[in-house]
Amino acid sequence: MLRFIVRRLLVTVPMVLVVVSLTWGLIRLAPGNFYTGEKAIPPAIEQNLRQKYGLDRPWYVQYGRMIGNTLHGDFGSSLKYPSTSVNSILANAVPVSATIGTLAYLLALLVGIPSGAIAALRQNSTADYASMTVAMLGISIPNFVLGPLLVLVFSLTWFWLPPARWNGFSLNLILPVLTLSAIYMAYIARLTRSGLLEVLRSNYIRTARAKGLSDREILVRHALRGGLLPVLSFSGPALVFIITDAVVVERIFALPGVGNYFINACLNRDEPLIIGIVAFTAIAVLLFNLVVDVAYAFVDPRVRY
Amino acid sequence: MTTRHRRATPFAAIVRHAAACGALALSLSACTTSLSHSEYFGKVDPPPGQTLRYVSGSEPESLDPQITTGQPEARILLALFDGLTEYDPKTGEPIPALATHWEANEDNSVFVFHLRPARWSNGRPLTAEDFVYTIRRGLSPELAARAAYLAYYIQYAQGYNEGGVFARDSRSGAFVMDPANPALRLVLPGDPAARDKALAAPALAAARGKTFVPVRAEDVGVDALDAATVRIRLTQPVPFLVALVANQFFRPVPREAIERWGDQWTRPGHMVTSGAFVLRDWRPYDRIVVTRSPTYWDAATVKLDSITFFPVEDATTIMNLYKAGDVDAFLNRTVPAAWVDRLRGFKDYRDGPEAGNEYYQINTTRPPMNDVRVRKALNAAIDKGALAGYLHMATAETSFVPAGIFPGYPVVPGDPFDPAKARALLAAAGYRNAAGAYDPSTFPVGKVELSYNTLELHRHVAEFVQAQWKQNLGITIPLKNMEWKTFLDSRARLDYNGIARSGWIADYLDPFTFLNVFATPTGDNGTGWWDPAYVALLNRANRQSDPAARDALLAEAEATLLAAQPVIPLFTTNTNWMKKPYVKGMYDNPLSMYAWKFAFIEHDPSRW
Amino acid sequence: MANGLEAVEPLEGIVAGTSLGANAWRRLRRNRLAMVGLVVLGIIVLASLAGPPIIAHTTGYTYDSIPSDPALIRAMPPFTGPDGRFAWTHPMGTDNAGRDILARVLLGGRISLLVGITSTLVSLIIGTAFGATAGYLGGRVDEAMMRVVDVLYALPYMMIVIVLLAFFGNQSPFGQLILLFIALGSVSWLTMARIVRGQVMSLKSRDFVQAARATGVRPVRIVLRHLVPNALGPVIVYATLTVPSVMLLEAFLSFLGLGVQAPLASWGSLASDGIQNIAIFPWQLLCPGLTMAVTLFSLNFIGDGLRDALDPQARKS
Repeated sequence: MLRFIVRRLLVTVPMVLVVVSLTWGLIRLAPGNFYTGEKAIPPAIEQNLRQKYGLDRPWYVQYGRMIGNTLHGDFGSSLKYPSTSVNSILANAVPVSATIGTLAYLLALLVGIPSGAIAALRQNSTADYASMTVAMLGISIPNFVLGPLLVLVFSLTWFWLPPARWNGFSLNLILPVLTLSAIYMAYIARLTRSGLLEVLRSNYIRTARAKGLSDREILVRHALRGGLLPVLSFSGPALVFIITDAVVVERIFALPGVGNYFINACLNRDEPLIIGIVAFTAIAVLLFNLVVDVAYAFVDPRVRY
Repeated sequence: MTTRHRRATPFAAIVRHAAACGALALSLSACTTSLSHSEYFGKVDPPPGQTLRYVSGSEPESLDPQITTGQPEARILLALFDGLTEYDPKTGEPIPALATHWEANEDNSVFVFHLRPARWSNGRPLTAEDFVYTIRRGLSPELAARAAYLAYYIQYAQGYNEGGVFARDSRSGAFVMDPANPALRLVLPGDPAARDKALAAPALAAARGKTFVPVRAEDVGVDALDAATVRIRLTQPVPFLVALVANQFFRPVPREAIERWGDQWTRPGHMVTSGAFVLRDWRPYDRIVVTRSPTYWDAATVKLDSITFFPVEDATTIMNLYKAGDVDAFLNRTVPAAWVDRLRGFKDYRDGPEAGNEYYQINTTRPPMNDVRVRKALNAAIDKGALAGYLHMATAETSFVPAGIFPGYPVVPGDPFDPAKARALLAAAGYRNAAGAYDPSTFPVGKVELSYNTLELHRHVAEFVQAQWKQNLGITIPLKNMEWKTFLDSRARLDYNGIARSGWIADYLDPFTFLNVFATPTGDNGTGWWDPAYVALLNRANRQSDPAARDALLAEAEATLLAAQPVIPLFTTNTNWMKKPYVKGMYDNPLSMYAWKFAFIEHDPSRW
Repeated sequence: MANGLEAVEPLEGIVAGTSLGANAWRRLRRNRLAMVGLVVLGIIVLASLAGPPIIAHTTGYTYDSIPSDPALIRAMPPFTGPDGRFAWTHPMGTDNAGRDILARVLLGGRISLLVGITSTLVSLIIGTAFGATAGYLGGRVDEAMMRVVDVLYALPYMMIVIVLLAFFGNQSPFGQLILLFIALGSVSWLTMARIVRGQVMSLKSRDFVQAARATGVRPVRIVLRHLVPNALGPVIVYATLTVPSVMLLEAFLSFLGLGVQAPLASWGSLASDGIQNIAIFPWQLLCPGLTMAVTLFSLNFIGDGLRDALDPQARKS
């Protein structure tokens, strides 16, 4: 197992380089430049800009510089925000996104797993239908609808909670976390239910039942482990994207998170910022999926590497 | 709201009732809480003291006045930096700021500005040398300022910015003069290949074989006559220079901070300012806080202790923050079109005319749009009045220069809405059946598309215009929405079929900023139409010292433009913003630029 | 854990299976909720296909007709005429341009259903094949295949779409639709693959698989006959969850200029337009939103029914 983990960690570096290289190529291929805007700029000024940012150098020089920056973990200065370094943007934005994303995912797990488990244990009961209907609502109401609805009710009608903006650990967190977690909650509830149903029908659970173990004991001691495999598979990528890709929620609640930066960086063709965020995302994907793969072996000893 | 629809149907009434009193309670109408006054939108609780919270739009690219080009940045910079002139808070016209008065020569090609005693926020006196430094810095190729072209009217500014060279006779030391303007030295491209190509022109024969010396910063036509006098020498008459120098590009920047901190000089703690406020805090995508500057020359006028600028982009979020009373005012062009009708009823809604237009530009190089009759037909088939009515926050426009913004400038009417004439024009252009009548099926709709960048407003306009052409001409022009930079790329390369959306916001308060768009074949023009006669008219206009004669010539140029119809003027946007009743000293003006020193919070409700 | 208890794992998974399709359909028909879902979905599909021409024929309104009378270019509530009285003309009301929302919702249904179901099927097939292969083979192959998935996760999707459009953007409407399927299909299978792989890794050490292996069943057959059917529960559930996410992704892609062009609108874009005006014209959100929700519920019930019907453990019943 240790060898497995070490091998995977070693693979991370070349993988990140592959990802940033492909991304760099995509940025090259995309039309437009960071400096183009509604008002055209004269060719001479464009030339000045290209010189200033080294865009007039041969492609391999620019590529080499980008790879060098990535290896050093210093992505240079943003093109769109010339007085701000990519590292400082990440240092500001990642904690915001991580706070909201982690809280939202925790909430999703806390609500999703129990309600999925209850639904599975009492399959086709009222509790099952009720919790699955709520889960389906969570999936059918997109977050760009849910967020404004929550704001309308809690901020604009009752004036209980602030409608938007980042304010550290405060009441401002409640609405974005709720909005963000809804869909994950629903996914987790449904995946838990189906995973558990699968396990509950297997012979060893039937045997355990025959031995007179209570539902609770069966669930906690046997079923939950194997039944949570789908949730586990889902959680690796989900945790990455709840942090890096919460654009809609960040925009609705005007939060300075990674997702909003990333969308704007892509739209602005802000190469260093795109590379920086992509490298961060790649590391997160690789690490989280590694954690999930290790967790497979713990949850289900039949899984071997 | 029930008063409006008294004879409502049962079903509609149920829907509305459910909406009004269910969880989705109507935020805009009946269910207002005790906290809000019914005549204003949302909470009306003034913040304590003299602090203003303003939503400034997208995150500023930088707080360096010479690097930035956008309006959101410009508005923040207005608090930090003073110019020779400032925008009048009510009209946007230039008013004295760091310059107390100024004079121009006969043909408006040399301006002398007289400075008042003023100090930077670090206490150092602000002198004419600061202006010289600022303009040279803004033009230096190393800074690569995107707005540098605004200063190209200054002598040798363009040559310096482009890395050009003078031609000098190595024996006599005399410079070769410009055949087109004998008062000025000839400037040639710095790049040898481009220079040789330019020198091939017979008019420049005199410059061949000379020594080429680079244009230096010191050659730029800005100098300090003494510590309190700045002289600006121009390459041509520029009657609007006094308005132009209010632009952030010309506002003086602090040499000592820039030399010490490099591009980090705009950080809180590093920045030295010349304006009414100093930078206290800047957290990207979160907030920018400025506080009152004790060294400001006009500190007695400044009433606000601090302003917090919130960079928020999403219009609904901005409206929510405003309604909940978390912000006191927000930027222009923000209230969603559908809300305008309701919000008009509130006293805090504002929609004055704006010095900006929206228009469709036409690729005149590709058939069928290379035929002026087709362009005129498409223009005449749009009911712009109905379009403006649908948008709720626009003023219909048949002219290119927005009407009613520039005092004294006549309105140049374009072709009016006339579907019958439009069909006749298309028939005349060859789209007719055997009987000679207009036949929509002969029009090559496959060769034309209407492209626009993704934005709700642009989509609404495009859908409306498409429907108009369908109703009035019987043709369905396909729409194509594009991601912003992809769209700009295709528009700039004239690589679009038919029609592309465009808009122009005034750089300074003069009609020339609009007409100048078509003065060059490339750049902002983007239509493929270019007429030397049009440019000649503009040049003649600018040489007039009498404003009325100048306006008449500019109007003649605009008429030439509209006759060729490379563009379809659509509408002028309205300012379309809100401020709480207790915010005073902020007015609608055509540029939506607010000199913050005049703004204040009025705590006494009787004076709202 | 509980290893000894598994010794009696039944082998019927191997024996049965010849008439899997027929059996499943028989069991599905007995599931009342699934049948209701199937009927509702059928009605919605039928309405979105046949509805727009019928509306155009009876009232003269199409999805893109903005009234020529400026007084009618405004939002009107459901079943309300221009005079405020009851009228049948707009059962879902109108949008801000005075266009009939019912016609727009039905036409949007064509797009959203096509996009949602096609892309989900694509992700189901690619994801299951990829994940099952990686999970069954394990070792180096699994390692390599999963790293490919990781790279695809980390690439900036938005840039891919922008580049895709820059090179293949000038397409006919049909070509645009194909491009849209490619863009949607290329991402939606990734998590599916990870889920299937996780299930297969857990299942392949079970006795019934070992038994199949010992009796010399070919690997392809083991994967198809034993592993995939047993992993189907979470797969089908995840597939039904993919449908709404793909429908919403479509709305985002149209922001980049990929997919259907205005004045056509999908459910996702209708809902995102509607939410802006929720406080003043709630029907603009509720009508497309409810239609979409009903559809998703139906799909979900069908998915649950399918899951039960295809469940190898429950085959005896």
